[in-house]
Amino acid sequence: MLAYATIRAEIATRGFSISSAQDTFERLVRPHFDRLYRLAWRLCGSKAEAEDLFQELLIKAFSKLDDLVSIAEPGSWLSRVMYNLFIDERRRFARRRMHTVEEGEMSGEGISGLPGNADPVRDHERLQRMQVLERALAQLSDEHRLIVLLHDTEGYKLTEIQELMELPLGTIKSRLHRARSRLREILSADGTFF
Amino acid sequence: MHQQDTDKQDQEILALLKDYPMPEATAGFYDQALVRATHEGSRRQRNRWVMAGFGSAIAAGLVLWLIGGFFLTTPGLPDGANSVPGIVMTLEEPRTVNLVFASTEPLERATLTVRLPDGIEMSGFPGQREITWETSLNAGKNLLPLRLIATSPLGGEVYATLEHNDRGRTFRLQVDVS
Repeated sequence: MLAYATIRAEIATRGFSISSAQDTFERLVRPHFDRLYRLAWRLCGSKAEAEDLFQELLIKAFSKLDDLVSIAEPGSWLSRVMYNLFIDERRRFARRRMHTVEEGEMSGEGISGLPGNADPVRDHERLQRMQVLERALAQLSDEHRLIVLLHDTEGYKLTEIQELMELPLGTIKSRLHRARSRLREILSADGTFF
Repeated sequence: MHQQDTDKQDQEILALLKDYPMPEATAGFYDQALVRATHEGSRRQRNRWVMAGFGSAIAAGLVLWLIGGFFLTTPGLPDGANSVPGIVMTLEEPRTVNLVFASTEPLERATLTVRLPDGIEMSGFPGQREITWETSLNAGKNLLPLRLIATSPLGGEVYATLEHNDRGRTFRLQVDVS
């Protein structure tokens, strides 16, 4: 039985001291935090799971610091690792997503956390439209919803989505097209939108 | 439906999607996530490493180099000991040597330096003669397995120096290669 505590840490960061490893890691990843957080949110659909996924990504990335320092585009690499983490643990995150549907309506979460302006009527209208959009998005498949959110909301290029999902460009384009068509159908049928 | 209507609806949907909100991360979340990542990432990696080291050590018959009595509350102890512990290694055959550091109190930000003679390498650090880590010790016994490989028959002494603030000790291990 191992009765000894072990000296903390070092081998995770071969060639670095712990403090320099932390500095190096932060320098590499921090510039991408906002974009990664947004990706996590779009993947998970709720704040708690997004932060959980974000945290898992950082833990995994730190354990691969040796690889990370030699990667030309850490942001793309980190996004791909996050996406793969999400896919690998989809069941876990999907289950959580179901549990947190209502969370989006909590104060400070999701669309109810929209910043207000000086016009309460416009705020209310905007909130209603976003709620309609959110319900429509929820009816899309995960793949369609993610592609439309990444492309049309987050401004990812098709090639960036292709790299992230490792799918043929044609598949990405057709999914985006179908996702938009489906959104249009849902929102038209809803009758409150157009 | 006319194409013109479809285009108008698409534009309206696009405008909505562009406006689709997302909450900010919790205040301080990024900083906390960084701290947790570096701690947890190290811990996970260390556990893998320690387990790998032990697996190899057990397979190799567990060479245990016990360096007891690293009591930093009693500085001034002579470096090393009168008798230098030693092991015999086989060329190109990795062998795990376990260093045990005993400390009477937790030590944060101690520095551990391992110096290797020519012909002895530490697994994962090819070609490096000196490897330094900043580390922390718990109160009690702290275990550090070193996986060594003899790449030449020369042998020599391995030095492990642990320093904390202005105190420190150096331990020696004689490695002979058969």
